[in-house]
Amino acid sequence: MPDFKPPIVQVDQVHKYFKRGGERLDVLSGLSLNVQEGEFVALMGPSGSGKTTLLNLIAGLDTPSEGTIRIGDQVISSMSETQLAKWRTRNIGFVFQFYHLLPVLTAFENVELPMLLLPLSAAQRKQQALNALQLVGLEHRMQHRPGQLSGGQQQRVGIARAIVTDPTLIVADEPTGDLDAKSAVEILDLLCEIRRTLNKTIVLVTHDPRAADRADRILHLEKGKLVSETT
Amino acid sequence: MKLLLMMLKNVRRNLIRTILTAIGTMILVLVITGIWSVLEFLDNATSEKSQNIKGIVTERWQIPSQMPMSYARPLEDYSWQGPDNLMTWQFYGGTTDPAKRTFDSVFFAIALEPRKIHTMMDELDTLPPAEKQNLVDIAEKMTLKREGVVVGPGRLKLLKKQVGDRFKVTSFNYRGIDLEFEIVGTFPEGRYDLSAAMNRDYLNDAMDAWTKKAGKPHPMARKTLNLVWFKFPDATVFNDAADKIMNGPDFKEVPVKLETASSGIANFLEAYRDLLWGMRWLLCPAILVTLSMVVANAISISVRERRQELAVMKVLGFVPRQILILVLGEALLLGIFCGGISSSGAYYLVNKVFGGIPFPIAFFGAFKISTHALWWGPAIGATTAFLGSVVPAWSARTVKVSEVFSKVA
Repeated sequence: MPDFKPPIVQVDQVHKYFKRGGERLDVLSGLSLNVQEGEFVALMGPSGSGKTTLLNLIAGLDTPSEGTIRIGDQVISSMSETQLAKWRTRNIGFVFQFYHLLPVLTAFENVELPMLLLPLSAAQRKQQALNALQLVGLEHRMQHRPGQLSGGQQQRVGIARAIVTDPTLIVADEPTGDLDAKSAVEILDLLCEIRRTLNKTIVLVTHDPRAADRADRILHLEKGKLVSETT
Repeated sequence: MKLLLMMLKNVRRNLIRTILTAIGTMILVLVITGIWSVLEFLDNATSEKSQNIKGIVTERWQIPSQMPMSYARPLEDYSWQGPDNLMTWQFYGGTTDPAKRTFDSVFFAIALEPRKIHTMMDELDTLPPAEKQNLVDIAEKMTLKREGVVVGPGRLKLLKKQVGDRFKVTSFNYRGIDLEFEIVGTFPEGRYDLSAAMNRDYLNDAMDAWTKKAGKPHPMARKTLNLVWFKFPDATVFNDAADKIMNGPDFKEVPVKLETASSGIANFLEAYRDLLWGMRWLLCPAILVTLSMVVANAISISVRERRQELAVMKVLGFVPRQILILVLGEALLLGIFCGGISSSGAYYLVNKVFGGIPFPIAFFGAFKISTHALWWGPAIGATTAFLGSVVPAWSARTVKVSEVFSKVA
C-alpha cells in the first residue's frame, strides 16, 4: 500500500464575490486547489486576480461565498468569526508585506503576543518566543521596538511571530514586497530554512518571480481562476 | 495581566493626547465633585430624621424672624426634659471699622447661652472629647467674662486678631449698642469657620442699659430673639410640641412656628431653589456628557489610528470580544485613574489645605468635599469612560481584517 496522506489544504469550488450597489463583483470563480503537507506553494497573478483574497480565505480571515475550504481535518469555510479567530491562533502563521508589528511592544512582546491566547505559562511563552527569535537570528534585538529595527529585521520578527505557535500552515502575503533585494533574499532563505527544518507548509503570494522560484509549485491566477501551474 | 500591560502601553502611546484627555477628565471630575459635595451636604441638612430631631421656632410670617425675648421663658415649658434642650439665638452684627466697612471688618455673632455651644450647636455637639473639652473651657470663660467671644479661625484671620485680643464693634442692627469684645477662643475649623458666638447676657444687659439711659425701649427690644432651637427624641414628641407652640396662648404678639431644622433649612434654601436645581439637573449632566464626549473623541481617534493593528490582532487570533475589552479597558484605566486622582486630590486640597469651598448660603459658610468623593471620582471616571468609549470600542470590535488589509495593499 502506498503511503497516502490527504492534502493539508483543500479548496473546493470556491466562489467569492462582493456586492457593490446592485452589481456583483466576482473575485474568485469556482476555484479548486490542494496543497500537501510540507509543500511550498506560490500564488502569482496580476493585480485583481484574486490571489490575496484566496490567501485570506485559506488563512481563515474571510469566508467564501460558495464552496468549501478544509485545512487539515477542519472545514473552516463554515466557521463563525469567533471560531475562526480561535482556529487561527493554533493553525495559521501570517507574514505580512508591511510586517504589521505592534509599535508599542518590543520584538519579544510582539512574538509573545499570539501565545497570550494559548494555555501556556509565562515560562513556556518566554522559552518559545526566545526559540523563535533565535531561529530568525534576532535574539540580541528582542528588547528593541519595531521603530528601532530595519525593515528586514522587522520582517524576521514577523516571521518569528508567525511560527511561534507552531502553526499548521504559514501564509505570507508579499513578504519581500517592502524590502531591498538583499533583505528579500535573506527573508526567502529564512522561509525556506523554516520550511526545511520545521517541515512547515507555506503558501506565498508574490509578484516577484525570484520569490516564486523558491516554491515547489507556482499557481497562476487570472480573473479569479487558476490558469496555469508550474512545478 | 498581559492584556492590562498592553492597555497601559496603548494609553502611553500618544502622550500628548493622553495628557490632554487626562487633564480634561480631572478638571470635569473636580467640578462635579465640588457640586455633588455641596448638594449632598444640603440634601443631608434638609432630609427629615425620625430620631434626635432638631426643631427651630421662628416668626411664622416673616423672614428674617424677629420675636420678643420674652418668648424664651414660656418656650422652655415645651422643651423636652427642660431648658437644657433649648437654645436661643440672637444675631448681633457690626463692623470693627465704621469709617470703612468691608467684608473683612464685618463682625457677626450669634448671641446665646455659652454652655449651649457644645451641647446644642450642630456638629459641635458631636465633637471628639478633646475638642469638646476645649469648647467647654471657652464657654466657661464666656460665662465668667461676658464680653468674651468665640470666633471661627477664618473670621479671626479676616479680622487680623488672635485669642486674647480685644476689639470694639459698631453695630448696624442694634444701633447705639456698640460693644467691646475679648476673644477667648476659636471654633474648630469647618462649619463655623467664619462665625462667632457671644454671651447673650452681654447683649441683653447692654439693651437694658440703653433703655435706662434713653428713657425708652430700644427699637429692637421686642424683636431681638431670632431663632430658638430645640432637641427632640423623636417625631412624636416633636409633633406634640409643635402643636402646642403653634396653637398656644403665649405667642399671640408675634405668631410663631416650630419646624424641624431640616424643614427650616429647606425653606431658607427656597430662595436658591432654581440655582440648586440648575446645578443638579443641568450643570452636572452637561458636565458628564461633556466628559463622555472628551473620552469618546480621544478613543475614537486612537481606534481610527490603530485599525490595522487591531486587524493584526484579529489575524493572530484575538476574538472580537477581546478587542472590545482592550479598547474599553484603555478608556476605563484612564477614567478611573484620572477620576480617582482628581477627587482624592480635591478631597485633600479642599479639606486639608483650603479648609472648604467658600459657598456662603444659609449658615454653612464653607463646604467640605464629601468622603464619598473618594469613590465618586473613580466611578464618574469609569462611567463616562465607558459611555464615551463603547461606540469606538464596538467599532474596533467589528474591524474587518480583509477590508483593512485590502486598503493597505
